[in-house]
Amino acid sequence: MATTACFIIVSRNDIPIYEAEVGSAVKREDAAHLHQFILHAAQDIVQDLAWTTSAMFLKAIDRFNDLVVSVYVTAGHTRFMLLHDSRSDDGIKSFFQEVHELYIKIILNPLYLPGSRITSSHFDTKVRALARKYL
Amino acid sequence: MDPARTPLGRMLLDEITPVVMVICTPLVEEACRRNGLSFVEMLSPFCSFSNIDVPVRTASDQPYRLQKFKLRLFYASDIRQPDVQVANERLKEVITQAGEKDLSNLSSDLPQVDELLSSSESEILPSWFEFFNKQLIRTMSFSDHEAFDHPVACLFVVSSKDEQPINRFVDLFHGDQLPSLLNDGAMDPKFLRLHLLVHDNQDGSPETATKFLNEMRSTLGSNSSQLLCINSSQGGLVEHLQNPWAPFKTDASPTQRLGCFLNIDDFNEIKNLMQDLASKHVIPYMEEKVRVLNQQVSATRKGFRNQIKNLWWRKGKEDTPDASNGPVYTYSSIESQIRVLGDYAFMLRDYELALSNYRLISTDYKLDKAWKRYAGVQEMMGLTYFLLDQSRKEAEYCMENAFNTYLKTGPTGHQNATRSGLWWVEMLKTRNQFKEAAGVYFRISGEEPLHSAVMLEQASYCYLLSKPPMLRKFGFHLILSGNQYKKSDQIKHAIRTYRRAISVLKGTTWRYIQDHLHFHIGQWYSFLGLYDFAVSHLMEVLSCGHQSKTTQEFFLKTFLQTIQKSGKACEVMRLPLPVINSSSLKVVFEDHRTYASSAAAGVRESIWQSLEEDIVPSLPTVRSNWLDVQSNFILKRNKDSNICIVGEAIKVAIEFQNPLQISIPLSDVSLMCELCARADDADSEANSSTAELQNNETTKLNADRFINSNESSFALSNVEFTLEGGGRKMVQLTVTPRVEGTFKIVGVKWKLSSSLVGFHNFVTSPVKKIQKGRKKNKQSPADNLKFVVVKPVPRLEGFIQSLPEKVYAGELQQLTLELNNKSDLSVKNLKMKISHPRFLNIGNQRNWNMDYPACLEKKTNGVEQTLLEQTSNLLQKVFLFPEETIVQGDTSFLWPLWLHAAVPGKVSLYIILYYEIENPESIIKYRTLRMLYNLEVFPSLDVSFQISACPSTLEEFLVRMDVANKTSSKNFQIHQLSSIGYQWEISLLQPTDSMYSSPTLLSGQAFSCYLMLKKRKRLDSSEGNGSLSLAVSDVPLSTEGGGRVMYDISLSQ
Repeated sequence: MATTACFIIVSRNDIPIYEAEVGSAVKREDAAHLHQFILHAAQDIVQDLAWTTSAMFLKAIDRFNDLVVSVYVTAGHTRFMLLHDSRSDDGIKSFFQEVHELYIKIILNPLYLPGSRITSSHFDTKVRALARKYL
Repeated sequence: MDPARTPLGRMLLDEITPVVMVICTPLVEEACRRNGLSFVEMLSPFCSFSNIDVPVRTASDQPYRLQKFKLRLFYASDIRQPDVQVANERLKEVITQAGEKDLSNLSSDLPQVDELLSSSESEILPSWFEFFNKQLIRTMSFSDHEAFDHPVACLFVVSSKDEQPINRFVDLFHGDQLPSLLNDGAMDPKFLRLHLLVHDNQDGSPETATKFLNEMRSTLGSNSSQLLCINSSQGGLVEHLQNPWAPFKTDASPTQRLGCFLNIDDFNEIKNLMQDLASKHVIPYMEEKVRVLNQQVSATRKGFRNQIKNLWWRKGKEDTPDASNGPVYTYSSIESQIRVLGDYAFMLRDYELALSNYRLISTDYKLDKAWKRYAGVQEMMGLTYFLLDQSRKEAEYCMENAFNTYLKTGPTGHQNATRSGLWWVEMLKTRNQFKEAAGVYFRISGEEPLHSAVMLEQASYCYLLSKPPMLRKFGFHLILSGNQYKKSDQIKHAIRTYRRAISVLKGTTWRYIQDHLHFHIGQWYSFLGLYDFAVSHLMEVLSCGHQSKTTQEFFLKTFLQTIQKSGKACEVMRLPLPVINSSSLKVVFEDHRTYASSAAAGVRESIWQSLEEDIVPSLPTVRSNWLDVQSNFILKRNKDSNICIVGEAIKVAIEFQNPLQISIPLSDVSLMCELCARADDADSEANSSTAELQNNETTKLNADRFINSNESSFALSNVEFTLEGGGRKMVQLTVTPRVEGTFKIVGVKWKLSSSLVGFHNFVTSPVKKIQKGRKKNKQSPADNLKFVVVKPVPRLEGFIQSLPEKVYAGELQQLTLELNNKSDLSVKNLKMKISHPRFLNIGNQRNWNMDYPACLEKKTNGVEQTLLEQTSNLLQKVFLFPEETIVQGDTSFLWPLWLHAAVPGKVSLYIILYYEIENPESIIKYRTLRMLYNLEVFPSLDVSFQISACPSTLEEFLVRMDVANKTSSKNFQIHQLSSIGYQWEISLLQPTDSMYSSPTLLSGQAFSCYLMLKKRKRLDSSEGNGSLSLAVSDVPLSTEGGGRVMYDISLSQ
C-alpha cells in the first residue's frame, strides 16, 4: 500500500465532491492543503490532455517532487484524481475502474444531485477498501 | 527574429565579453576618489560600444566587421570566484529592497486575474527579476573551467604623482596583486599589457605628464602607453544631466554627485581612450590569438591522423583512476587552448569557429570524465547554437545536458547549473515554450529558500504567460514561492505572491486551499501590523468545519489574538461565525392580534382567521366616511408595514448554527433596530420623513453600524449562551419600542468570545422581494421587519389555570380562566370562542363558590330551571361575557371553565378572546387574544352494553355492562351509572352490596354487572314537555363514598 495517497473526485464544474486520504502514512496536519494544491494545479494539465485521447485513464500526468498525480476522466468529465507515491500503474488503473463503477451507482441514485457532494458512507468505505486492495 | 536581439542574446552579448584586468597604484585611486568614483567605475560607462565598427578576419580570412562590442573591467583583486556568502548577502539585499518598494501595493485592492491576463509580459513581471538574474549569473563568474572570464588584457595604471612612474609599472607587474587563477596555471600569463598614466590637472600642468608619457613610450613600447587627464578642481563643477555612472554604482545615494568635476573634455578623453583600447588593442590581439591557436589546434587535432592518434591516446588514459573532476588542465594543455580558442571566437562573434572547437573539446572532456568542463562546454555549445539560430533541438539538448551534468558534479556544480538553467529558460522563453521554461525554473529552485522563492515565482509567471494560461499552476507556484519567501523572512514578498495567488484562486471550492491562503496571508499582515487586512483575511477561515478540531481551535485563537493586537473594538459585518440561518427567521408581533403563548403564535394564521370569523367585525366597517381620515391614512401608508404598539415586545426568533467542532461563547446577542419618531400633527411631514428615512438608511447603515444610539426609544433583550460544536440553537430576542414612530428591525448583532462584534443584516435586496411577492403570494420574513408603532392600547393577558396536558378519556375538571389587564384603559364587549366545545366549555359563575365536585351534587329541586339556561348557552358558539364585566387593574378577572375529555387522542384547543377598546380615537378598535393548549387524552374505561329482552315481561330489559380498564397504571373507582331519558329507568338487578359490585378497577382489569331497564310509568305526563327529555335515573355502583352522593355531570355544561 502506498504511504501517501490522496484521492479526490472533481465534478465537471471543478468542484471537489469527494475527498479521501487513503495512504497508510500517519496523517499530517499540513498535508491536506498541499495535496489539494498539487491536485488543483494538475487540473491544468488534465484540461489539455483529456481531449487528446479517447482513453479514460490518463496515467500519471503530473508530478511534484516525489508525488505523482494519476487521473481518470469519465465520459461526463468528472475527474478522479489520485495523488500517490507508489508506482503500480496497473493497480491504479483497476482502482479507478472500480471506483468508476461505484460512482455510477451513486449517480443512479435518484436522490443524488449530479455535481453535489458525495456523502454516502457506503461509498466511502468501499473506496477505502479498494485503496487498500490496489494501492 | 535575430537571436542577438532576443533577451538572451542581449544578455549574452552583455555578459560574455572580454575582460580587462586593471592594476593601479593607490594614488590613481585617490585621484578618482575625489570624483566619488573608483577607477574602474570611472571607466565603466565608456566600455560598451554600440557602433565600434572594427574590421576583423576570421581564422579562414573571411572579413567581417564588429559593430557592438563591450569590455568588462575588473580589478585584479576582483578576478576570483566571488565568495558565496557575500554573493548571497548581495542577492538578499536586492530582494529586500524590491520588497520595500512594493509595500504601498500591499494595501491596495486585490489584483484581478483578467488584468493579469490582458497585460503584457513586462507589466506583469516584477522589474527586479532581470536584475536579480543578472546578479545571480555574475556570482558564477571567474571559474577555472571556462575561459571567457579570463582577462584578455591587463591595464596597468600609474598616477603622474607617483614617484618614478616607470618603475611603478614594473612594480605593479611583479607585485602580488595578480589573481590566483594566474598563479594556479589555469590562465595564460601572456596576456596583452597596456599602460596608462593618469594625470589630474589639479596637481600640475600637463607638461610633466607628457614628459612621463614620452618616457613610458620609450621604455614600455609606444603602442601600449597612454595618458589620461582628469579633473578634480572645485571650480569646474559640472552638472551631468544624465549621470552615466549612476547605474554602475548601486549603493550611491541620489544626492551624491558622481564625477561632478569631470568636464566635457574629460568625458571625451575617457571615451576615446576606451574606444582606442578596444579597437586598436584588444580586438586585434584577440584576432591574432584566434589565428595562432587555430593553427596550433589544426596541427595537433584536426585531420584523420590526429583524430586516430587522439582516440588511441585517450583510451590509454582511461585506465588511470581519475579524480572526480577529471584531470587538471593547465593553460598550456591543448584542451585548454581549444577552449580558449572557442571562447575567443565566441566573443568575436565567429560562432561557426567557436562551435566547431566546442564540439571538438566536448568529446575529449567526456572521455576524460572532466564533467564540470564538459558541462561548461555543452553550455556554450547550446548558446552558440542559439545565437546561430540553427538547430533548436540541438541547442536545447546541449542546455539540458549541461544542466544535468553540472548537477551531477555535486554541490559546487549547483550554482553553475543555476546559471545554465537561467540561460536555458531564456532560450525556451524566446521560443514561447513557457511551460517547459517553468519546469526548468522549478528544477533550479534548489534548497536555499530565498533563491528558490525567486525561481518559483519566476516559474509561476511562466505558467501565466503560457498559451493557454495555466492559472492553477500559476497559483500553486506562487504559493510555493510565497512559502519560501516567508522562510527567508521576506514577508512582504510572501504577501505579494499570496495576494496574486488569491486573485487567481478566488472563488474556488477547494476549501483547504482557501483556508491555507487566507490564514497565512492574514497572519503575515498581522506581522506587518496591517491588522485590518489581517482580520479580513482571517475571517475567511473562521467557518472551517472541514478542518480538524485542533486546526479549528488554532484558527480561532489566531483570529482572536489578531483582534486583540489590533487594539480596536472590532465590529465586523458578516462575521461568518456563527452561521445565521436566515430562513429560520421568525418574527412575532402583536397588533390587533395578541398571543397568550409562543405556541399560539406559531399556529397558522388561517386557523385563527377561520375561528375569528364570527366574532371579529368584518373589514368594511373599518372603511368609514371621509371624516375618518386619520385611520384611513395610516392604513394606506402602512399597508406594507406592520403595526405594533408602544410598550409591547416584538419577538424575533433566529437560529444560530456552529459550523465548528469546538464550542464558541456568544454574548450580548441582541437585535439592531431603528426607530424614527413620528410627528403626530402633520401627516404630510410624516410622509416625507419616512421617505427620507428610506434614503438615509443606506448611507447611515454604511457610515455607522450602530444606529442604536437613541437607546431610550426602545428596549432590547440581551442573550448570552455558548454554542456547542456543531450545534444549532434557536434564540429568542425581543425588542420593545417605547415611542411612536416607524420602527425597523435591521439585523442581529453578537459578541464572539467577548471581543469581537459581528453583525448580520436581515434585509434582503428589494428587487428580490418583489419577485418573490409576485411568484408566491407569501410574505417573506423581510417584509415583517418594518413596523409602525402606535399609541398604547390595553392588552389582555389570559391563561387557563392548571390545565393538565394529559387526561384520561371522560375526565371532568373544573378550570379557571384568568384575565388580566395591566393598562389603565378599559375594554368592553368581551367575547370568547373555543374551537372544541366538546372538550372545553364555559362554565357558569353561579356555582363558582362551590368546590369541585360538590358543585355537581345532585339537588332535589330547581333542576329544570338550570337546564333551560344551559341549553340556550349551548346553542351559541360564541360566548358573550356579561356586559358588566370589568377587566382592569391589579385584580384579575376569573371565569370558570369545564374540561371534559370526550374522546381519546391528541387535540389542540384554540381559544379566542375578543375585546373592544373603549377609547374611540385609537387606531386599533379591537383586539383578540389567542390561546392555544394542547391536550392529550388517553383512553380510560371501555364500556359496552348488551341488551336483551326480558323473557318474563315486555316492559323490562336485561342489560349487561362490561367495563374494562384500558390504562396501564391507573386504577378507577366506578361511582355511579346514569341513564338519560324519560321512558326508561335503570336499576341494578341485585342490590349494590352484593358480591360483584367491584369497588376499584385495577389497570387492565375488566368487570361486568347486570342491570335492568324498566319502562317508566307515565305517571305525570302533564308535567312539562321538553324538560323531561333530560330526566335522569342514577344507579350508585360504589359501596364506598359515604352518603351515597349522586352527581349530575350535566351541571358542568
